[in-house]
Amino acid sequence: MWDLFVSLFINVLLWIYDVIGHNFGIAIILFTILIRIVTWPLNAQQMKGAAAMQNLQNDKEWQAIQKKYAKDREKLAQEQMRIYRERGISPFASCLPTLIQFPIIIALYQSIIRALASTPLDLLKLSRSIYPALNVSDLIPLNSKFLWMNLGQPEGIPLPFDISFLPYGFPLLAIIVAITTYIQAKLTMPASTNPNDQSAAMSKMMSVYMPLMLGYFALTFASGLSVYFITSNVLGIVQYAMQGKANWRNLLPGGQKK
Amino acid sequence: MRKKLILAVMVLLAAVLLSACGGPVRGTTWAGLAADDSTAYLADGPYVYAVNVKDGKELWHYPENVDSKLIFYSTPVITPDGLVIVGSAGNDHSLIALNPTDVNPETNAPVEAWRFSAATDHWVATPLVVGNKLFAPNSDGNLYVLDLQDGQSTKKAVETIELGGRLWAQPTTDGERIFVTSLDPSVSAVDVETYEVLWHEELNGAIPGSAVLGADGMLYVGSLASQLEKFDPATGKHEPVLEAENWIWSTPSLDGDTLYFGDLDGNFYSFNTSTGKSNWPPVKPDGPITASPLIQTDHLLVATESGSLFAINRDGGVLWSEEIGGKIYTTPVAAGDLILVAPLETEFYLAALDQNGRQVWTFAPGN
Repeated sequence: MWDLFVSLFINVLLWIYDVIGHNFGIAIILFTILIRIVTWPLNAQQMKGAAAMQNLQNDKEWQAIQKKYAKDREKLAQEQMRIYRERGISPFASCLPTLIQFPIIIALYQSIIRALASTPLDLLKLSRSIYPALNVSDLIPLNSKFLWMNLGQPEGIPLPFDISFLPYGFPLLAIIVAITTYIQAKLTMPASTNPNDQSAAMSKMMSVYMPLMLGYFALTFASGLSVYFITSNVLGIVQYAMQGKANWRNLLPGGQKK
Repeated sequence: MRKKLILAVMVLLAAVLLSACGGPVRGTTWAGLAADDSTAYLADGPYVYAVNVKDGKELWHYPENVDSKLIFYSTPVITPDGLVIVGSAGNDHSLIALNPTDVNPETNAPVEAWRFSAATDHWVATPLVVGNKLFAPNSDGNLYVLDLQDGQSTKKAVETIELGGRLWAQPTTDGERIFVTSLDPSVSAVDVETYEVLWHEELNGAIPGSAVLGADGMLYVGSLASQLEKFDPATGKHEPVLEAENWIWSTPSLDGDTLYFGDLDGNFYSFNTSTGKSNWPPVKPDGPITASPLIQTDHLLVATESGSLFAINRDGGVLWSEEIGGKIYTTPVAAGDLILVAPLETEFYLAALDQNGRQVWTFAPGN
């Protein structure tokens, strides 16, 4: 089942690659846009769910039950569920789209690695993943060069000196991945006036950990994945901005407090 | 505070797990296998093993411990002065010469005679030794020429010849020219003395195998366009001479004036270079064929992806077949009276068979 999913990704990627004249970097960017369009309703739902949860944190009734049942967790949970029901809020609505991103990232990573086929066995497996509608002999091997990168390998700009912890050189793409992830996380972080707001605290933590984690992935894995991360982040920022949800003040020092 | 801790642990775990995925492991592709009468050299994932042909016992392995930057699966080459040269498909892109006569008794690893680290991509191809020179094709599209007699422990290329594409196969030589195949897909001829590219011809499909010089003096190449192509080695003029049913992955094996090779549909062909025709209709063993056939005195040995070894006589008749297990992609090798087979997806890494296909020993590290 998973293989079929990855094969679908590979074939769509290769179809785009074929149509646009054999540029795999552009194919990844267009494929990311396609994924963003397909998952647009999910992302919109995530934003809506996050906003509803955020509003709830500042709601007087919500704050009142937090105080009233602070020592009775079971009762507190029952009351929270009642409020969720009454206001039509799903506490998991903001998590689901994020969870869906993970299998997409993993499938995309596998499809990039398999499509670029850096080993003979990869090439053999690739030949068996391609649908008959695509002319395999014309496509293989894929052109893995994009700008200064080899998309099948971690990215780095050569330095005139050796640094053991930077085996590929200066990791420009990893830095861009970390910055765009940080910007996206900050822009989507809603303002909160409640000092006990746990979801705001969680968002703050995520805005630190996610850029570090994705930056580390970009540093370690094939640069094709970094192209996906950056495109996806930029599109996410654009989507938030288009929907008027982007909180630009968060990017400024102390912006959260205003 | 507890949530922060959980999140931090999750991130750390994800990073560690995904990092582990990138480390050198066995089975990312098939092994490279070479042997002389006494020793088999197996490049199989994180290690290169030297195995005693007599009893299947490990003589040494390299490196001493797993190195995340090193992964081996290109077929090692043994130089006339006894060095074992093997390329790494790991992230440091090194071509390493090992001295099997100088093994550290404490680590059981041989000493490195030299290392070449200027390539920018994986080593899949086996280098070719011509006199004092080593012609080493890399996946970065360059053919590196190294001087084997310069005494340097950190080698520098005497010449870097840009051919383009990914070079995955060992070059072939007629003494005057070096013929290099590429996945891009093309075949090039390089002057062995001046390193000038004499010709560069494109084909319709990638070429993962080597070119072969036929008894008729012509150059033959199988491709992923499912064609056997004949080249004039002097001019590069070429034409297809056989249409296969599927991709021709392996290097054809030459026996007299006949070329033997298989395709990914599992067909086994016998092409007579003198007549320009097949000797007999394709024989179909039990699975796709990526390995080159091994020419024996009275038969040919054909390994299949289904994990079988077939003995086929020169008339196309099957003499015997043995199920080795796993999947066989690596070309079998003769070592003395034995036949060595390196399957994938089996508990053992290497098996030795007698001339009738009966197993003599198997090798797995630590046994």
